[in-house]
Amino acid sequence: MSGSLIAIYARRVKVFLLWSLFIIIILLSFRVSNVDIKTLVEGFPYAVFLIGEMFPPDFSRWEKILLLSIETIAMGFWGTILGMIISFPLGFLSAKNTSGGILYYISKGLASFLRSIPEIVYALVLVISFGFGAHVGVLALSLSTIGLLSKFYAEAIESIDKNPVEAIQATGSHGLGVIRHAVLPQVFPLFMAYNLYQLDRNIRYATVLGLVGAGGLGVELFTQMRSFDYQQAAAVIIVIFAIITIIDRVSARLRKDIIDGKFMNKENKYKDSLLMLIVSVIAILSLYFMPVDFKQMAYGIPRTWEFLKGMFPPDFSGIAVYLKLMLETVAMGISGTFLAVAISIPIGMLSARNVIHAPLVYNIMKEITNFLRAMPELMLALIFVVAVGLGPFAGVLAIALSSVGFLGKFYAEAIENVDPKPIEAVEATGARFTQRILHAVFPQVIPLFNSYNLFLLDKSIREATVMGIVGAGGIGFNLVMSMRAFDYQETATLILIILSTIMLVDWLSSYLRKKVV
Amino acid sequence: MVKIENIKKRFSGRDVLDGADMLVRKGEAVALIGPSGSGKTTLIRAINGFVVPDSGKVIVGDKEINYKNKESLRQTRKKIGMIYQLFNLVERASALENVMAGALGRLDNGVNLISSTIGLFHKKERDNAMELLKFVGIEDKAFERVDRLSGGQKQRVAVARALMQDPELLLADEPIANLDPKTSRKILDLLLRINMEKGITMICVLHHLDTVTDNFNRVVALKNGSICFDGETHNLTHNHIHDIYEFEEENVEETRCLAA
Repeated sequence: MSGSLIAIYARRVKVFLLWSLFIIIILLSFRVSNVDIKTLVEGFPYAVFLIGEMFPPDFSRWEKILLLSIETIAMGFWGTILGMIISFPLGFLSAKNTSGGILYYISKGLASFLRSIPEIVYALVLVISFGFGAHVGVLALSLSTIGLLSKFYAEAIESIDKNPVEAIQATGSHGLGVIRHAVLPQVFPLFMAYNLYQLDRNIRYATVLGLVGAGGLGVELFTQMRSFDYQQAAAVIIVIFAIITIIDRVSARLRKDIIDGKFMNKENKYKDSLLMLIVSVIAILSLYFMPVDFKQMAYGIPRTWEFLKGMFPPDFSGIAVYLKLMLETVAMGISGTFLAVAISIPIGMLSARNVIHAPLVYNIMKEITNFLRAMPELMLALIFVVAVGLGPFAGVLAIALSSVGFLGKFYAEAIENVDPKPIEAVEATGARFTQRILHAVFPQVIPLFNSYNLFLLDKSIREATVMGIVGAGGIGFNLVMSMRAFDYQETATLILIILSTIMLVDWLSSYLRKKVV
Repeated sequence: MVKIENIKKRFSGRDVLDGADMLVRKGEAVALIGPSGSGKTTLIRAINGFVVPDSGKVIVGDKEINYKNKESLRQTRKKIGMIYQLFNLVERASALENVMAGALGRLDNGVNLISSTIGLFHKKERDNAMELLKFVGIEDKAFERVDRLSGGQKQRVAVARALMQDPELLLADEPIANLDPKTSRKILDLLLRINMEKGITMICVLHHLDTVTDNFNRVVALKNGSICFDGETHNLTHNHIHDIYEFEEENVEETRCLAA
């Protein structure tokens, strides 16, 4: 009896300590990343003023915007295509069941290394050796595409059904035949879906790569914001939003069709072939609008080598300052995620069809999350820097808002997928609405929520490392400055710190995710 | 055609095969029975080399199977068709594509290797596959994705794929255990017809004694990894059957362990 009592108390103490630790971490993060309600309240009139200044949006430079839009889409397309081509073999090489030995570890390591560096950091580095322009954007996007896609590919390959593989082996087929006829048909639809997802993502990122001179709409946005021409900036923002939203919708539809096996089947054959044709034509035509300067490219390779040589040995003299900055960066990620969670819980509830029975409410909420998701973090940061001033708080707000876009959607989907039977059972006892949520919905969704939160924390910290590029706090500012000052040894140290932190957080969050789900 | 001599296999501390001997002549159809966990599947899989026996030998045709040499194992497999309980088809590919995969073993050098790898098959192979789909009775489903077919239709596709290999020997591991009685009947008839008409030797693992006694002349029974009955079906008495299935209840637990 007393033994079990002690166990209960021990558990309570443990829970209490964990919660205290959690609260302390959040409060410290708030402090380090300058989260300040007063600044927000004071900044509010500025924000309203800013929004007022943006209206009516000025589309007078529409020709320029149109050309840059095409360039942005082209960057997304070709980044994805190049990345796809390289990811295909790399995916097979980094999947446990189609690779082996040292090759497996090398490929897997390479993919996770490429994945750890944010797109815009690639762009920053590549701009130095390849000059300004869209070709740098394409290279930057394809590098991070390789990291992500080959991971997705490998996971798809690892999760295939082994039975058909054995059956084809039993026919005495050669190894390549097994891959082509038993593995590929199983993974191909998944690959297609991942490619589309990646295209979607790449076009989203392509809109901000211009901030560092790597082509696309970002450069126009940056220039207009810098020259306080908010009406023209608003026009660019609207165009960015429209492009991302359209691509997002089309890609989500296609992905669903492909996974359900409806893509290219009898009734959709002509429609889908037409769509594929249009996509291919756009991809090829877009090459025309994306002048790739081959001479620049050729010069770029030795210059990259010079740059890499210039990085060695890394200069660790400023390490204390950098570590403090990295801490600030991590704190920004934590604060942003925490704020996002707090905002997303009500938003997620309100946009779940099975909780709110008013289509008007959940549709409006869904559109809000769609809007926030479509906005690239760096663009939001650019706006918040104007509203609340330079510094980490602007970054936190940008991270928080864009995270709400993801979390609100994930939460709503989790809530919509709950098992209705326990809810009905609780309702049958005469429970109120709030009680039903608390006792029948929450227990079902909390593990999922936590898993999403950890995923978002991971993503947010990664985003926080680049917020400094627009002056929104964190280590990114020093990264840009060290490059501008040609101090590549310092750059090397900063990249090393960023890389190891991202890898550490990645590992920690996947470890915790396994524990909570 | 198939000669098994004293093969033994241990899995996780248990003798799954404990010195089984068996001889199957060309053109014969043999039913393999026995309680769960008696080693039927392991025996079948030793014949096409998915299980490597700890000792003993397996001779298919006139050659002993060399389990260590991948290439010679592949050459052996080319001549052995295999049919599974869960069909083992590529669900997202069409019926025709699944059947044509059966030709991969044959198309293993030169231009054929390259073209079959990228998925281009000779018209001759394609016609052959269509012919076989017709033979098994589902040529109208040739271009349908396999995940849209019923269980019986899937098994027909799997049979056609095995025939595509132009096999000398057909191994069937509980081919009808996952089908309803009426469909089971049809698939079994199909397999027996293949044995009769094409003269393909067949070893068929089955669960229901009735189907065995009604359709097969020869039956081999396994119990605890060794053969406890081998002879004509009409010689199989109630005493034998009682003997074979005596320990079934105890074996259930072990089978679960193996499956896990």
